[in-house]
Amino acid sequence: MPVIYFDNAATSWPKPPGVREALSDYLADAGGNPGRSGHRLSIGAARLVERARELLAELFNADDPSRIVFTLNATHALNVALYGLLRPGDHVVTTSVEHNSVMRPLRHLETLGVEVTVVACQLDGTLPLADVQRALRPGTRLLVTTHASNVLGTLMPIRELAALARASGALYLVDASQTAGAIPIDVDETGVDLLAFTGHKALLGPTGTGGLYIRDGVDVAPIMRGGTGSDSAYETQPAFQPDVHESGTLNVAGLAGLAAGVRFLFDVGVDAVETHERRLVEQFRAASADIPGLTLHGPRESRHQSGVVSFNLAGAMPSEVAQVLDERFGIMARAGLQCAPSAHRTAGTFPAGTVRFGFGWFNTAAEVDAAIAALRDIAAWIERGAPALENVQS
Amino acid sequence: MDGLISFFASHYALRAETVLKRDGFAARLVPGPRDLSPNCGVALRFEYAQRERVTELLAARRVQIDGVHVYRPRTDEWGARTRMGG
Repeated sequence: MPVIYFDNAATSWPKPPGVREALSDYLADAGGNPGRSGHRLSIGAARLVERARELLAELFNADDPSRIVFTLNATHALNVALYGLLRPGDHVVTTSVEHNSVMRPLRHLETLGVEVTVVACQLDGTLPLADVQRALRPGTRLLVTTHASNVLGTLMPIRELAALARASGALYLVDASQTAGAIPIDVDETGVDLLAFTGHKALLGPTGTGGLYIRDGVDVAPIMRGGTGSDSAYETQPAFQPDVHESGTLNVAGLAGLAAGVRFLFDVGVDAVETHERRLVEQFRAASADIPGLTLHGPRESRHQSGVVSFNLAGAMPSEVAQVLDERFGIMARAGLQCAPSAHRTAGTFPAGTVRFGFGWFNTAAEVDAAIAALRDIAAWIERGAPALENVQS
Repeated sequence: MDGLISFFASHYALRAETVLKRDGFAARLVPGPRDLSPNCGVALRFEYAQRERVTELLAARRVQIDGVHVYRPRTDEWGARTRMGG
């Protein structure tokens, strides 16, 4: 049974050609510690890291690569931004569809005296801009939103949100976990102040890679301090980018792989990825409309949606549907709350959650057809009382 | 190459190499000599006569530098066939 991988919103698979080779080449040929020594293996490793940094700066149209700092993943990047910016007494505004990578740090910061305002999104994840404007006030330190809901795929209007934040004097942090590499992002043109990204989703790199773009002039205190290979005579943390946020040896092999993933995206074009995923979403929406008992959540129009669809089948738990999709049809989906309980409360799908398909560049229309046929079969089994469901749960 | 630029961090050294080579300047990364490059292990050798154009270009690309030095290390005379990678 061929595997149909629809869990690209969790991590992308397969990776493009060149990613595995990049990791392997680092281990074989350039195994030094970047920025620590002047010998060729150290310089070779530093070259890999800086090439990755330059590629990402180019991808997000950040003119100075030093404004990109590398982290382990988007969660790490969001923690750097939130804990580095917010102090007791500060006010922060966010939305009700945030992933726990934003919500949990904010709820913790709340116990330390940070005031958190959560703007409620509509059932389909749409964020009412007027409510954001009302929530922002003079002295608000930060607006933080996802770029696309990881549950519903709903896209946030980041250009408009950046303008609202700027007008009130707040900084704007975007969680681009779901969109970096899948939807073009221009930090210069949109006016985003900080952008957190992960390397292992649509950027097509390995796990253990991610980063944070910080606009020039925005001062983020480090959450970690330690060796950087710079200012080594001093026992205090350097103040300059990127070293201020990059204590400890980086994941060089991973970043070499990430650079290969981003190079592949430059060849393909991020706009082509966006178009491709949007077509798959439209195909799924059209073909799933008459499946008995299937409820599709999220926006009605795919131009407001990333490559994610979330649905339920009446009469079955999302976990049952996902299990049968895997065991009977070889289709990999994600069931449940997708680490975003607030988003499910917003969509009315808490606590059971949904079944989520996250499409990627390597998915095809034929795979979506196969998934539609599988869901029809499952819907028919449910209608007949679902004995087949029990059989496969052995 | 008789000049050396020192940096605060290897990021800027590697960035400088990319920026200078792209515009046709001679540049080579070397282990930073301790007396001239106390902040970072990597430094960049270049032609000292080009220092004005080189530093202007680096400033325009926001590549921060620590210092610009005349550099004629005695190691240049050691083993003519020995070359640092880069």
